[in-house]
Amino acid sequence: MSFTRALMENLRVKLGAMDPLPPPPPLPEVPFPPSRVFPTPRRRSAYAEAAARHTTALVGIGHVGTRYATDVVLQFQAELAVAHAAVGTELPEDWAEKNGLLPLHSRVTSHRQFLLRPDLGRRLDEASLARLNEKARKGVDIQPILADGLSAVACMGAGLALLAHFTRECEARGWSVGTPMCARYARVWLEDEVGQTVNAKVAAILLGERPGLGTGDGLSAYLVYRPRIGCSDGDRNMMSNIHARGAPPEQAARRLAVLAGAMLDQKTSGVPLNLAGLDLGDAGGGGYRAPEPRVRLVYAGDAQDKNTKERA
Amino acid sequence: MNLSASIRGVGYRFTSVTEVLAKANPPKSGDDLAGISARDAVERVAARAVLADITLAELRAHPVVPHEIDELSRMVESTLDEGAYSAVKHLSVGQFREWLLEPSTTGPTLRALAPGLTPEMVAAACKLMSNLDLMTVGAKCEVVVRANNTLGLPGRLSSRLQPNHPTDDIDGILYTTREGLSYGCGDAVIGVNPATDTPESTAQILTRLHDVRVRNNIPTQHCVLSHVTVQMKALDLGCPMDLMFQSLSGSQKGNKAFGISIALIDEAHAKMKAMTSNRGPNFMYFETGQGSALSSDAHHGADQVTLEARCYGFARRYKPFLVNTVVGFIGPEYLEDGPQITRAGLEDHFMGKLMGLPMGCDACFTYHARMSQDELECLKVLLGAAGCTYLMSLPVGDDIMLNYQSTSFHDIPSVRRLLGKRPTPEFDAWLNEMGIMDGLKPGERFGDPSVLK
Amino acid sequence: MILDRIVPRILSVRRLPGADPALLTAYGADPARHFALGLVTVDQDDSTYVALDEATKHAPVDVVFAKSFYAGSSHASGALSGEILGVIAGADMADVDAGLQALIRCLEHDACFYTANDAGTITVFPHVIASLGRYLSAQAGLQVGDPMAYLVAPPMEHTIGLDAALKAASVRAAKIFPPPTETNFAAAWLSGDLPECQAAAEAYAAAVVDVGRKAWDIDR
Repeated sequence: MSFTRALMENLRVKLGAMDPLPPPPPLPEVPFPPSRVFPTPRRRSAYAEAAARHTTALVGIGHVGTRYATDVVLQFQAELAVAHAAVGTELPEDWAEKNGLLPLHSRVTSHRQFLLRPDLGRRLDEASLARLNEKARKGVDIQPILADGLSAVACMGAGLALLAHFTRECEARGWSVGTPMCARYARVWLEDEVGQTVNAKVAAILLGERPGLGTGDGLSAYLVYRPRIGCSDGDRNMMSNIHARGAPPEQAARRLAVLAGAMLDQKTSGVPLNLAGLDLGDAGGGGYRAPEPRVRLVYAGDAQDKNTKERA
Repeated sequence: MNLSASIRGVGYRFTSVTEVLAKANPPKSGDDLAGISARDAVERVAARAVLADITLAELRAHPVVPHEIDELSRMVESTLDEGAYSAVKHLSVGQFREWLLEPSTTGPTLRALAPGLTPEMVAAACKLMSNLDLMTVGAKCEVVVRANNTLGLPGRLSSRLQPNHPTDDIDGILYTTREGLSYGCGDAVIGVNPATDTPESTAQILTRLHDVRVRNNIPTQHCVLSHVTVQMKALDLGCPMDLMFQSLSGSQKGNKAFGISIALIDEAHAKMKAMTSNRGPNFMYFETGQGSALSSDAHHGADQVTLEARCYGFARRYKPFLVNTVVGFIGPEYLEDGPQITRAGLEDHFMGKLMGLPMGCDACFTYHARMSQDELECLKVLLGAAGCTYLMSLPVGDDIMLNYQSTSFHDIPSVRRLLGKRPTPEFDAWLNEMGIMDGLKPGERFGDPSVLK
Repeated sequence: MILDRIVPRILSVRRLPGADPALLTAYGADPARHFALGLVTVDQDDSTYVALDEATKHAPVDVVFAKSFYAGSSHASGALSGEILGVIAGADMADVDAGLQALIRCLEHDACFYTANDAGTITVFPHVIASLGRYLSAQAGLQVGDPMAYLVAPPMEHTIGLDAALKAASVRAAKIFPPPTETNFAAAWLSGDLPECQAAAEAYAAAVVDVGRKAWDIDR
């Protein structure tokens, strides 16, 4: 080491560089904490009010530092819980029979497998195929199939009403409608094997759709002309967002019947189907979810308390 | 080429490079669905041992989809930078992994190497790496691109503002856009996934977003993510378009299912080059995601990580301004849960960066995948620490059209502050001028959308 | 940390054989004896003066030119300018090379500034030369081989430090450079026996650190 460097190294020790660290500075007093307003519903900002007329996106919600206020966190968690609960709910084994529907079952054997193996959810298990062959009416114009899909909650909710309205609409048009049935652990393409087995002209599967935040009760319908194993998405027409706040079952059933009628007339479905001039609303197109007002999900206290607050 | 290994005296023999690549992959439900994954953890390690000894030259000679049936394989082969390739071709995948991790292998070296790597080489290295390995190398790679601002500089974290609306209500889109900007989001792009895929609607949204950008003098880009053919028609309608978008797949067959080919993207790129409203030189925007090839039965027996890398081999042809992997959107049949989605996000970022792309990530889950909100927040921090170029941003992370959960307006400034990262320099200056940010801290007008005209 | 080394950065080193006589004359060389030049720029001027002197001890070279730049290296005219250009000259390139090697060695391993406060925003150069070379001895009016304390600090720190150094040891001031120098510092060269020069340098550095810790010594 150089002469001067050694000198400075010693001086540094002398000047206390190696002494123990001084104690940390004293802690400040805790300031009087700001009070947050939960559970009192916060007044929405003017921006949020104006935006709500155009979008259901949660905007104008403010911030705490760079994070959410507590009531926003709870609303979000409640919406997430509703979606997860809808996915996690399974259709009871005996639900179809109890509701007078022919019970069908895909090749899926567990809920986890249902999520991971869409291929198995597209095919009937042996017992269901035998039951279908034995009990279902064959050679029909329309074969509706109620199914759980990604929301058994939706299936058990508006499912029966949609099936009944759709059946009535079809029969009113003079078409023969197949045996009412309900499939468990079913994916959309299951309608191909079912429709092929009963030799239907049009198969229509009505099933729970993938839940969104705060919603788990939506149904979708997929229709295909001359169903057979090997049909693809391009062969189908669909309608989504069927529930009380979107397209209610009665209105949806009417539009689905119009769609089925077009298939019977034109003897095709999917991309080649000409939809011009049909009163379909959302049916037959890309099928987006129309804006629906977000509802406040979380209130502290019991339900009566909530009503008081809403009036106030 | 050796395709066998033994572990504790038990021999494992594989029949092809494609099989080795697939079985060396960490567990992914999509590989299980395709029936190509390792049968257990020990076989997976045996495949990795074999892979570690295969050279990069051997990987070049064995693309997972043969040249004869795939234009992507042919394009990668014919456009490979032979100079860069010859520097590393003799390395085994195991040696390549170690070389990537060496501190003396710097960002500029990796950038120079990128055009000499095939997707299979990059995917192979990925399979021998842990999550922290992927982050270590990913953070070294520097990919800087320019449009109306400069993306990918060190110490920066950008975001796409994604103001989607289920019916393309333009006022709804603009309310969400202003909200996002007031949280410091949107420096990568303001990009709308349209509900209606028509040239007229695309042009209308682009024009209105452009107005907001010009009126407020915002240094960023805008984009409507309709099909590339629709955007080309929208350009003909005379609308301003800063970035042109398309989803890519990792095989010719997969791209056919998306309605695209190399020739079509070449044509779109040329048209955009002539007509784009951004200052350039980068103006393309691509999205990818593990599992897309399998979902159109176009995987040719290859695993989803390797096919994802092949998307990047496609994307780099066009020197894009943005590439992002939409990592959890495809659903649990391809990425089952939090650990798989996390792993995939870090893999895709690493592979994209190593191939020279400005890689962003849509860290997200659908509500039927088993990932918690807390796990998703962790992934955003991991990606930020790994040097991810940009994340998405939506109100509370909720896409009200596509029904999935991604990064929120609030998450972007939170992650930036936590990691000491800033937006692009131009956007950073704008945010400070507007009072939205005060350096890394929220400014006086933070979260106040009325600051925007 | 205080008294951390701030090692000088050598920004450029160029060799110039057979320089034009006009250039040689302008830079203070003698065209009759000097045929080869060695030039360096460094971001610390005082370390470099010491290193140039060191070169004269190891090779038959003369320091023909050495000037600090105004306001120091944070206001440099270019990336390679630093705060000093030093030029050594010799009869042939081999001599100049030997001188440059000694100069570089000194900059890398000996002469340097030190931090005088924890933030590193005050610096001090309390250097002790055990044996002067031909260059600095002539500048200071001392003999070749004499010891010398070479002391530099910012104006206030230097003034207090110099007083402490002169009182702490049996030394005399060979030369005092009151502020401002070209780089806005202040300096002094103190002469005495080697242990006295050491004691002076130590007292100087300690006083500079003290001023940094206590910039005011009256109540406001």
